[in-house]
Amino acid sequence: MGKVFQFLSSASLEKLTGQKAYSLEDLLNLIKTCPDSSIFYHTFSAFLKMLEVHLPYNSDIAIWVSEKLNEKALAERLMAIDLSEYSTIKGLRMRLIEIIENYRGQKPDAFQKIANEPFYLYDIIRVVYLTDKFAYDLESFRELLPTISVYSMYYHYIESRLHTQLQSDDFSTWIEESLNIPDLAKRIRKIDINVYTLKGLRSRIIQLIDEYFKEMGQKGQA
Amino acid sequence: MTAPTLFDYKEVVGPEIIGELMILASHVGSRSIKMVNSTAVGGGVAEMLHRIVPLLNDMGVQVKWDVIKADDEFFEITKTFHNALQGQEGYFEEDIFKSYLAYNEKNSHEIDFDEDLIVVHDPQPAALIHWNQDGKNRWVWRCHIDMSHPNPQLWGFLKPYVEQYDAAIFSSALFSPELAIPQYRFYPAIDPLDDKNRELDSSYVDRVLVKYGIPRDKPIVTQISRYDPWKDPVGVVQAFKLAKKYVDCRLLLVGDKAADDPEAEKILERVKAEAGDDPDIHILLFSPSVATEINAFQRASDIILQKSLREGFALTVSEALWKARPVIGGAVGGIPAQIIDGYTGLLVHSVEGASLGIRTLLTQPDLAKRLGENGYQRVKDEFLITKNLKRYLLLLLALDRPREHTIFLK
Repeated sequence: MGKVFQFLSSASLEKLTGQKAYSLEDLLNLIKTCPDSSIFYHTFSAFLKMLEVHLPYNSDIAIWVSEKLNEKALAERLMAIDLSEYSTIKGLRMRLIEIIENYRGQKPDAFQKIANEPFYLYDIIRVVYLTDKFAYDLESFRELLPTISVYSMYYHYIESRLHTQLQSDDFSTWIEESLNIPDLAKRIRKIDINVYTLKGLRSRIIQLIDEYFKEMGQKGQA
Repeated sequence: MTAPTLFDYKEVVGPEIIGELMILASHVGSRSIKMVNSTAVGGGVAEMLHRIVPLLNDMGVQVKWDVIKADDEFFEITKTFHNALQGQEGYFEEDIFKSYLAYNEKNSHEIDFDEDLIVVHDPQPAALIHWNQDGKNRWVWRCHIDMSHPNPQLWGFLKPYVEQYDAAIFSSALFSPELAIPQYRFYPAIDPLDDKNRELDSSYVDRVLVKYGIPRDKPIVTQISRYDPWKDPVGVVQAFKLAKKYVDCRLLLVGDKAADDPEAEKILERVKAEAGDDPDIHILLFSPSVATEINAFQRASDIILQKSLREGFALTVSEALWKARPVIGGAVGGIPAQIIDGYTGLLVHSVEGASLGIRTLLTQPDLAKRLGENGYQRVKDEFLITKNLKRYLLLLLALDRPREHTIFLK
């Protein structure tokens, strides 16, 4: 039997830093100098802003660039960053800087724009805690999934990759390493987190597990 | 009716959310909090404390609430402070500051501050900390007002007291001034189980509408707000009249009248003049309103407006969204935090925008329904009292570890 999976969850306290950006130049400076936790808040944490209602919303930075500076092309590029590819904030920060600096080369005028409403830089304190839910095998894991909070979903599928520094979520890592079901793990790992709400993500994982059980049942019958 | 317990919120937010609150509370243990403010009744802060104090106690946190004692002279002073901190111009004589400090000092000796965390609400008791700096506990200043453009003279006087705190809490980055202490954001929150927000029988809603002579023969567009120029009730009537050229509907304006508020009378007269003799415009003035009736008006409405020109946080928006009503809000103050334009409601900047919003929502019921449902979810996620319980628990944990960005609880 593999390792037991204990579900964790996390919560956040938002801090006001008092720092603001009115222009792309200001924004670039903030991104270059702010703590990792601020980058985390304005990108990864954005998933938490809408827990159940889907929005194309994975970046506060992109939203501000779109709505307050009306630089739609830059906003789209920032929004298109696939956060699941980043297991360190350092890498993500460099990518954000690269995109904005490249844009300066293409559209220098955009850097002259001053927004009426600033981008407010936040920081965040994360608190990670153990829950009382344990999975011992795929059946119990499947059974527990509908009962865990969206915060627990968020922690294991999105946030934890920054703690483990793996380009993989906790669920698929456990299914592969402890349950030795690499095919299912691969399918779960491949879910596009940018197009699902957290509830949608949960449903998709449940669906993949149910399909796996069905396939196993069919194989057994054959 | 007995006050709801934490258990009662399970059905509203889900057992898993309450379960996780209890886990966090178990890490906080029996630590204690003292809330201090300036009034036990009336006003949003007292209303919120009446709910949040017993619920934190339900979770095992030892919470006490003290109200400072003062006479009319002090409250006259702090009323002017309140307005000036929100940007009103004015000059304060030195005697005013001395008097303010004398009341604070007297209270600082009369109240015990033995708890682990002291949370002082708003400017009235803000200087209490000055006489209590033995370092045995943490002090946090919770500011509920918009301090983005405070009167410089007054802020110059108060800021050194505020900076004696370990941290400050504001409702939004928009409302916070520059400070040398850490600042946290706590969104204001509504209580889904209080009279203003709880589920109502449809027969009660019907009776309230009959009581006030509002027929339900056509869609109802409602704004519930004080008759105050910043809430733009005249603009609401103008937007309604523009919309009525295209869609048949009624307008319901509901507002409270504060005692001795001559400005409200003037605004009301202007609203009535703008409305003329249109039988589809219903103007109600309460002194004060009944919470369940306000709830009924919201539930009977097809669209709710909050067409403010300047705002604090405007929790009336969350109240309406909680009832899954589509809301059209002015893009000011805390309204954009609640309304994500096009997803959880519509943000507008003008009378014309509000009119177009009314026409759009009345002719596209699917869109109106979707905005209302999305808005309900947004409130459920961010603007319910249970979220603020969590914030207080996290604050207790965070203040213990001021240098950590991620806290792992074993």
